[in-house]
Amino acid sequence: MCCIYRLVEAIMLKTLSIRSFYSILGLAILITFFLLGTGLHRLGVPIPGGVLGLMLFYLGMSSGLVKLRWVEDTAGLMLRHMVLLFVPLTVGLMGMGALLSKQAVAITASLLVSLVAVLLTTGLLGKWLLPDLLAPEKADAEVGR
Amino acid sequence: MKLAFLIEHPAFSITFTVLAYALAIMLHHRWRWIPPIVVACIPIVALLLLVHEPYAQYNLGGNLLTWLLGPATVALAVPMYRHGVHLRRSLPTLALIVLAGSVVGMVTAGVTAWLLGAPLPVIMSTVPKSVTTPIAIEVSRELNGIPQITIALVILAGVLGASFGVPLLRLVGVREDRAIGAAIGSASHGVGTASLVQHSEMQATVSSWAMAAAGVFTSLLAALLKLFLR
Repeated sequence: MCCIYRLVEAIMLKTLSIRSFYSILGLAILITFFLLGTGLHRLGVPIPGGVLGLMLFYLGMSSGLVKLRWVEDTAGLMLRHMVLLFVPLTVGLMGMGALLSKQAVAITASLLVSLVAVLLTTGLLGKWLLPDLLAPEKADAEVGR
Repeated sequence: MKLAFLIEHPAFSITFTVLAYALAIMLHHRWRWIPPIVVACIPIVALLLLVHEPYAQYNLGGNLLTWLLGPATVALAVPMYRHGVHLRRSLPTLALIVLAGSVVGMVTAGVTAWLLGAPLPVIMSTVPKSVTTPIAIEVSRELNGIPQITIALVILAGVLGASFGVPLLRLVGVREDRAIGAAIGSASHGVGTASLVQHSEMQATVSSWAMAAAGVFTSLLAALLKLFLR
């Protein structure tokens, strides 16, 4: 056990460049904002801690307190491999077979109705509200480049 | 019986879960239609059944991975911020559209389950089904739903929206890139967004913005719903 630990440490030191330093710093920053959000949630704000953290973090980046390059790598990694993080909860589904099969009709119907409703609402609203904004958007994108 | 000790160690659950996920990703790269989340669970469920280890024991380590969903939620601010800069002209309109989508999604899911006679915890589990998993789980918990049911619904909403969302939108005449992005992001979160990346950059950009925004709006609306129910 100790041997493996030493080995990991040695590899980490050898490869510790600025870029990987940012990856570690990024994780610390994300956890800090999550804990801030969780703290606010505990104090009685009725929004999940993660979402409060997201909003604070967005404000942090907009105000320039947090630089995008500090967190880009870590955030990208976590978002790309988010599926890994919900494997344990999904494994927990195996104890719920009875409840799921009893409610299968209600759950499936609710899923399909709601999915189609959301797609149609947002898609059609987008079709009616967005086209007149198309021209300035393109100009913006070119200036941005 | 030294083996039993090894399997019961929380670090074993984490390592085994990561390996199962790596295997699932490898298979997904070769055969695109294989959903990683389903494949990753199979070896774990098989092992738990084989060694008669209760889920609670496995979850001592699993909990740690679940906890990381919190920081992952915070990480959603990065695409939202980055794409928000590019989309600034249409941002208010997009926000309005995604907000409408979130309201419609929550109401239709809940009401359909209620009309079909589902018990209250199941109804509440269906309400956040359009948004990205970590936020959906938290909203489900806030509303006293069952997070596992929510996860199953979220995954299905993602997979179905990714496969049939764009054809359905084409059918009703929605062709504009940002409208498609907003619709897929609001209805099918990250899974839908990933399916747009190969078609159009603008669609994927709007979709990842919409997915994060829908998560925020749904949490805010769920907080209102909770106040209203009390």
